[in-house]
Amino acid sequence: MSERLSRAGAVRVGWTSAAVVVLLALPFYLDAFWLRIGLFSMAAAIGAVGLGLLSGTAGQLSLGHAFFLAVGAYGYVWLAGEPGPGLPTAPAAVLAVLLAGAAGGLFSPVAGRVRGIYLGVATLALVFLGHHVLLTADSVTGGFNGRSVPPLELGGFSFSADSELTLLGVPFGAEERLWYLGIALFAVTWFTARGLLRGRPGRALVALRDSETAAAVMGVNVARHRSAAFVVSSMYAGLAGVMLALSFRRVVPDYFGLVLSVDYLAMIVIGGLGSVAGATAGAVFVTALPLLMTRYADQLPLVAAPGTTDGTVGPTEAARYLYGAAIVLILLFAPDGLHGLVRRLRARLRRRRAAPPPVGTASASLPPTSAARTKEPTP
Amino acid sequence: MTVRTTAPPELAVTDVTVRFAGLTALDAVSFTVAPGSVHALIGPNGAGKSTCFNVLSGLCRPATGTVRLGDADLTRLAPHRIAALGVARTFQNIVTTQGTVADNLMLGRHALSRAGFAASALRLPHVRREQRAHLARAREIAELTGLGHHFDSPVALLSYGDRKRVEFARALCLEPSVLLLDEPVAGMNAAERARTVEVVHAVRAELGLSVVLVEHDMGLVMRLADEVTVLDFGRAIAHGTPDEVRGDPEVLRAYLGTGAEQEDAA
Repeated sequence: MSERLSRAGAVRVGWTSAAVVVLLALPFYLDAFWLRIGLFSMAAAIGAVGLGLLSGTAGQLSLGHAFFLAVGAYGYVWLAGEPGPGLPTAPAAVLAVLLAGAAGGLFSPVAGRVRGIYLGVATLALVFLGHHVLLTADSVTGGFNGRSVPPLELGGFSFSADSELTLLGVPFGAEERLWYLGIALFAVTWFTARGLLRGRPGRALVALRDSETAAAVMGVNVARHRSAAFVVSSMYAGLAGVMLALSFRRVVPDYFGLVLSVDYLAMIVIGGLGSVAGATAGAVFVTALPLLMTRYADQLPLVAAPGTTDGTVGPTEAARYLYGAAIVLILLFAPDGLHGLVRRLRARLRRRRAAPPPVGTASASLPPTSAARTKEPTP
Repeated sequence: MTVRTTAPPELAVTDVTVRFAGLTALDAVSFTVAPGSVHALIGPNGAGKSTCFNVLSGLCRPATGTVRLGDADLTRLAPHRIAALGVARTFQNIVTTQGTVADNLMLGRHALSRAGFAASALRLPHVRREQRAHLARAREIAELTGLGHHFDSPVALLSYGDRKRVEFARALCLEPSVLLLDEPVAGMNAAERARTVEVVHAVRAELGLSVVLVEHDMGLVMRLADEVTVLDFGRAIAHGTPDEVRGDPEVLRAYLGTGAEQEDAA
């Protein structure tokens, strides 16, 4: 048993290090377009992990995720820029994350008391409020046109194309440099979120989602854990906001609308609620798809090239249709998302390898349909 | 992990009244659970047994009356504070959470562990140590309740009887001084019932806790209980040892309806 476990552990370590090596090597081979997709995906993954913690694990719907992304992004720009305190960029980034957490904390009297879908409606207000403030508070946010983002500098190293840098014959511009920042921030997110989910707070949040009564009776302070989940989720959103701002190099109010919140919900549903890997997969899917479709629009049937107006479907709309369809398909056929799909495929493969079924009875070896979440009415 | 060695405090319910709109669910109910005893609450459906449990665990606030555990007043405390004081309960309908048996039992260790959000996110060494120690104790409790071989199985895949047992084990993981069991053997077959009775006896002997039991299975009540309180329409109509209660005419009337001939037959 332990031998098998340790072998599985070794295999896992092997796969993880292979993935990390590939990720680290990519900037040497990919051009800026692909790297930019990667950057947006990493930023989205950080935010989606945060929302997954709140909505997937704790069962609290939030439509206000875009607001906290905006707090992170604009917080960084304001803290590091002119007009603003003009802080060094690294502390400005950390403070922006804390600022997003504080904004979540201010909302915690609501977040701690309001449950599930009702919180979703309450957070809806935040998005509209945020958007309005972004448009009108010109001196801080730059109004409709937004503000340009000061590049991050860490110990004299600038994450921009200002200084020449060539590694192994590859010129390192802003995308290449930010790629490594993104990987580092995502690694932090992965490490901390898994620690949370597998530890005492994660179990308490799962209990809250499955049965508030059982959680309370087992000693979980319901309001406190709900608020804390909201604050933590806001901080991940803030970090994602900083990363997004750095990748975009310009922040504009219209990006941080309700659609963005819905996109994040789509990410965690497509990826599979309640898992870090799922949120990541969903984030990459939702982020990369429209960009890829825009790029390769001319090669797709029925999709018009960007800029043409001959009545056919534009690439952005087509991407929206496609991921709308993806959500419906996933909800129908894989309610536990991409993550659950992969897990079941893996289980099936393992079973098949363990005992190759005789021909003709393959269908009998289907794994049992995943057991629905045990959710009982409370007394 | 520390296992309490002193006798548990006395649980005293005094004149507790609960009203839901016009309905009086509990009407000035009083009873005392002696330290280390098994106290059964029985009564026909709708008598107020589960409401009484909800008052004891803080899910329902009484209009009047008090609940005291030793020196502590539980009456107006939030459920998680009552749990921290050592009152654990199970539910009539099984309420487990997603994940493995281990996950569920570790939820029971929540009030006894400290790891917060920041420390867990950073996986600080003391968090890992704490988690390991509690996991070891949870495994002991799983062995004690006969769930040892299911420890890492998802709860959703377990049989009904085993899931009931998970709830029971989870409550024990709180290291309670008072354990509230709401119909622990409902829906179980004879073998499972016998097994549960054994486990209740075992934990009582080993952990020395008081047990409050709501149960419809009279055979089980008579075998397990040291003392019985009978509720009917929210009122406590009889107290006593199982034998005294069995002969009480009020109790027979509540269960069987009126009629002198039935009384004679009993």
